Amino acid sequence: MSDTQLLKVDNLSKSFGGVRALHHVSFDLKPGELLGVIGPNGSGKTTLVNLITRFVKPTSGTVWFKGKKISHLPPYKIVRLGVARTFQMVKPFYNLPAFKNMIISLYSPRMKQLAGGRYGDRDAVALDLLEEVGFERDAHVAYKLAGALPQGYLKRLELAKAIALEPDLFILDELFSGLSLAEVASIVPIIEKMRIAGKAIIMIEHRLKELFRIADRVIVMNYGEKIADGTSKDVMESEAVKSAYLGTEAD
Amino acid sequence: MFIGTTIYALINTAILALMAIGFNLTFGISGIANFAYGALYVLAAYGVWMMLNLLHLPYLIAVVAAVILNLILGALIYRFVLIRVRGQGISEVIATFGIGLAVLEMFSYFGWVGFEYTLPVLIDRSYIIAGTYVDMQRIIILVFSIFLILGLWFFTHHTSIGLAFRGIAQDERTALTFGIDSDWIATLSISLGAGLAALAALFIIPLGSISPGEGYDVLIKALAVCIIGGLGSTGGVVMASFIVGFAERFTDTYIGSHWTMIVSLAAILIVLIVKPSGLFGKQKELEERI
Ligand SMILES: Nc1ncnc2c1ncn2[C@@H]1O[C@H](COP(=O)(O)OP(=O)(O)OP(=O)(O)O)[C@@H](O)[C@H]1O
Ligand SMILES: [Mg+2]
Repeated sequence: MSDTQLLKVDNLSKSFGGVRALHHVSFDLKPGELLGVIGPNGSGKTTLVNLITRFVKPTSGTVWFKGKKISHLPPYKIVRLGVARTFQMVKPFYNLPAFKNMIISLYSPRMKQLAGGRYGDRDAVALDLLEEVGFERDAHVAYKLAGALPQGYLKRLELAKAIALEPDLFILDELFSGLSLAEVASIVPIIEKMRIAGKAIIMIEHRLKELFRIADRVIVMNYGEKIADGTSKDVMESEAVKSAYLGTEAD
Repeated sequence: MFIGTTIYALINTAILALMAIGFNLTFGISGIANFAYGALYVLAAYGVWMMLNLLHLPYLIAVVAAVILNLILGALIYRFVLIRVRGQGISEVIATFGIGLAVLEMFSYFGWVGFEYTLPVLIDRSYIIAGTYVDMQRIIILVFSIFLILGLWFFTHHTSIGLAFRGIAQDERTALTFGIDSDWIATLSISLGAGLAALAALFIIPLGSISPGEGYDVLIKALAVCIIGGLGSTGGVVMASFIVGFAERFTDTYIGSHWTMIVSLAAILIVLIVKPSGLFGKQKELEERI
């Protein structure tokens, strides 16, 4: 692979018993690129994320990250190389304050690597990170129990936990789903900021309008296969996409 | 008689909690029910006995060595056996039970039973408290048990690293998401549980003698306490130890000693029927674990 690529997915496939969840999917990602992944329900988007992060073992195919083959590594090692992900279904510790939810991130081996074992006051770091993703410090939102926070804040918390790992690649699985337009609008600038910082981002989304506005490139999944790959404009106009999304775009 | 029974019930509570805390910690962290727990308890006791009586090592060195050996043994059990059946609950139980059985039956086979197999008490002294005779060893157990459980509770609830640990314990997905090797955490959980089994043995065995039967006894008591309290919860262990500890002593004094065992078993049955997840068990979502 050429060294301008950060991630290379090569012929990745996964079957669950008889279900072909992903079928020979390949694509590359450059550093700093924002790649959108769209497709109808059950088209294999989350499976793709799970295969890259190795939460699920590929049936065949290879994934390379920073020139290193990672598709045989356990998930925790992939995280340590600089890949962070968020989940479609957030599972915070509801009985802990939001900032305490950050501790696992802040005690992770990745953190130790980056900080050389010295990280200082983690609570202060947690509060800073949360402020970065829009937990207004004056309103003391970070001190509220996660269980008392609206969905928009829980998604931001999820994002902050990923940011804490200082990854080179973020994989965000349906960060916007379940959020109001206003909440999405408040998260978009955070993602733009991550891009300005040079991070590569893969965004799985059903919210096409918002995604098309910020994505450099979009790939389209249908029945486990990649059916289109190009700029937002190309993809929007492609016939394959229109037919795959026929009737499902109405959200 | 009432005060005396209460004092001994308190001590019994401490003993039960001490017996169960390691088994419970392992389950709380990794969800593994380590049925070799009783064997590890007995093994540590025999280990110390051998170091004292055959190698003539000083007491302190013998106990430290026994605890460290148990820590290592626990880790080895995970790395060499459990890792291959991880996630299959029944296989985990069969594997650990098999290991425990082999160890305990080996000691039986070689006839390591008898009064000479005992460990020294820490301080050979006794007191009369409120008209009741209490030896120093039991007082030490009571105090040590309180400190151990408070210490564990403080660590898991009030230190960041303990909170992080508990978070990881609650959810393997979270562990992996943040780059933590969940097999390593599971290794640690068995290892720490085995270490606590050794500590419990060092304090409790001096009250009686070492025998393979003790291994089965400890396993059954740890299970009883964990079933009643709810597997994995420290609060549950404390609560259940109180219930069983008091029920046993009071039955012993006021009804008759041959009813003692029945009372604990009845308590298990009632809990299993009324609230199968135990008093502090998992029915509540994301209950405080460890
Ligand atoms: N662990 C699994 N076991 C069996 N089948 C699975 C598993 N995970 C996913 N699948 C199947 O694989 C297919 C792709 O699922 P996937 O979750 O990747 O879709 P998705 O594109 O993320 O959908 P959504 O938009 O609903 O999140 C589906 O048919 C799904 O039922
Ligand atoms: Mg999905």
